[in-house]
Amino acid sequence: MISARAVLARATPVLACLGLLAVWQATSLVLNNDSFPTAIEAIRAIPLILGDKEALINILASLRRMAIGFGVAVAMSIPLGLMMGRSRTVASFFNPLLMVIYPVPKAALMPIIMLWLGVGDIAKTLVIFLGVSLPVIYHSFAGAKAVEEKMLWSGAAMGLSAAQRMTRIVLPAALPEILTGCRTGLVLALITMITSEMIARQSGAGNILFNALDMGQYDTVFAMIIIVGAMGIGLDALFEKMRARLVKWSEPQFDIPVSFS
Amino acid sequence: MNARAFTTDVVFGVVPIALVVAIWQALVSFGYAPVTLLPPPGLVFDRLAQQLMTGTFQQEIAATLFRLFAGFAIAVVLGVTIGLAAAASPAVNAVVRPLVRVLAPLPKVALYPALLLLLGFGHESKITLVAADALFPILLSTFYGASMVEQKLIWSAMAAGTPRREILFKVVLPAAMPSILTGCRIGLVISCIVVFLAEMITSTDGLGHLLVTAARTFQAVDMFVPLITISLLGLILNGALEALRAFLLRGFPEV
Repeated sequence: MISARAVLARATPVLACLGLLAVWQATSLVLNNDSFPTAIEAIRAIPLILGDKEALINILASLRRMAIGFGVAVAMSIPLGLMMGRSRTVASFFNPLLMVIYPVPKAALMPIIMLWLGVGDIAKTLVIFLGVSLPVIYHSFAGAKAVEEKMLWSGAAMGLSAAQRMTRIVLPAALPEILTGCRTGLVLALITMITSEMIARQSGAGNILFNALDMGQYDTVFAMIIIVGAMGIGLDALFEKMRARLVKWSEPQFDIPVSFS
Repeated sequence: MNARAFTTDVVFGVVPIALVVAIWQALVSFGYAPVTLLPPPGLVFDRLAQQLMTGTFQQEIAATLFRLFAGFAIAVVLGVTIGLAAAASPAVNAVVRPLVRVLAPLPKVALYPALLLLLGFGHESKITLVAADALFPILLSTFYGASMVEQKLIWSAMAAGTPRREILFKVVLPAAMPSILTGCRIGLVISCIVVFLAEMITSTDGLGHLLVTAARTFQAVDMFVPLITISLLGLILNGALEALRAFLLRGFPEV
């Protein structure tokens, strides 16, 4: 049987959610403000949004763009990061460029990219791709850099080619670190997606939020916030489960992603 | 690293940046991109230099910087306090940990409409958003830094008769400093990005607002200028904090 402690440890995030909702409910009751609905009112509005076909299509389209942007970014960033970690030349070639790009607000590129590529899916996916790439590159870089030289020498002595050493030694050894990067990237993908939709105001989840705000449907605004928040927490928890399965041997240093936009 | 390897590194590092600028210039020069959509780099930097001299542009920068620093300062104070408290007391940790677990992966931008409704369209909502976004990296790195402090140091201090209360400030805080400052650096760049995005979403002044107004009138040059300004600000602030870190940690072994 699972101990009571373990059950409690699992339940704490749920308790935290309930606690936050309770604080919200109490505050809104105290403030009694028209533009600040109670938690219960907001939760009641969730089925209305998810039942609305157009809203649902919009949210799903957002998620599809996010998945594509994230997938492409991960597929391109991991090899680049690993190569930077194993070769000084590659690292000194890309590092300054990445350092210059690092403080650029990626979602702010939306208007410029829209000017070039139109308002379609490509522009939105590209912005998400840009947002996700950097953390994944950096973590893969750090992971590959920390691989023990001895293992590589042994591999070389056993006759592995450079490419084989990369996939059979460096990749698995750097995997825990890479997955940490992917986790940050996943949260970032969601943030970039919402932000760019808020800025572009074309379609998607971020647009629903601000349309409701403009029309004064405050319960919809807060219901959308719950939906987006739940997406963030849910995706993160899902990824964490997958990570724990893939790299059972390694305990993460940070068990909470340090996310940024 | 010897001097020669260092110079090679610098030369190597400059190449890709120069390459990007060259491709940018070439795209315009050879007519692949019309100047109205992609202004040549020279034009953009000219415009930037010219704008930096004007009073209105400086006011926009000041508005952005004010929100940036106000939000960042709140995040530092809250993050370090809560982080230290959580590391020092198991009771606080039991409450903070699940809350952070839930709130850290939550996209904070989504809260922005709610902040607008509660705090209005002025400074407050933007400062709160910046603080909320910068808080978690600072809190987490403070917590990890403070919980990694060597137990021996604390025992020694206790043996030397330091009261429990003072141990926190005399032993734990300095020992956690490298980690805290790393968190602050991440938080500062995040603040830069978030303040800009918040100003883009709704604002009447600030650098982000400049970009949006330029986008509405299809002034491509004016769209690049605020974007480059905020990125430069990010780089400068990051560098300044790095220098501060090097100064504060001059006694520490390389971390």
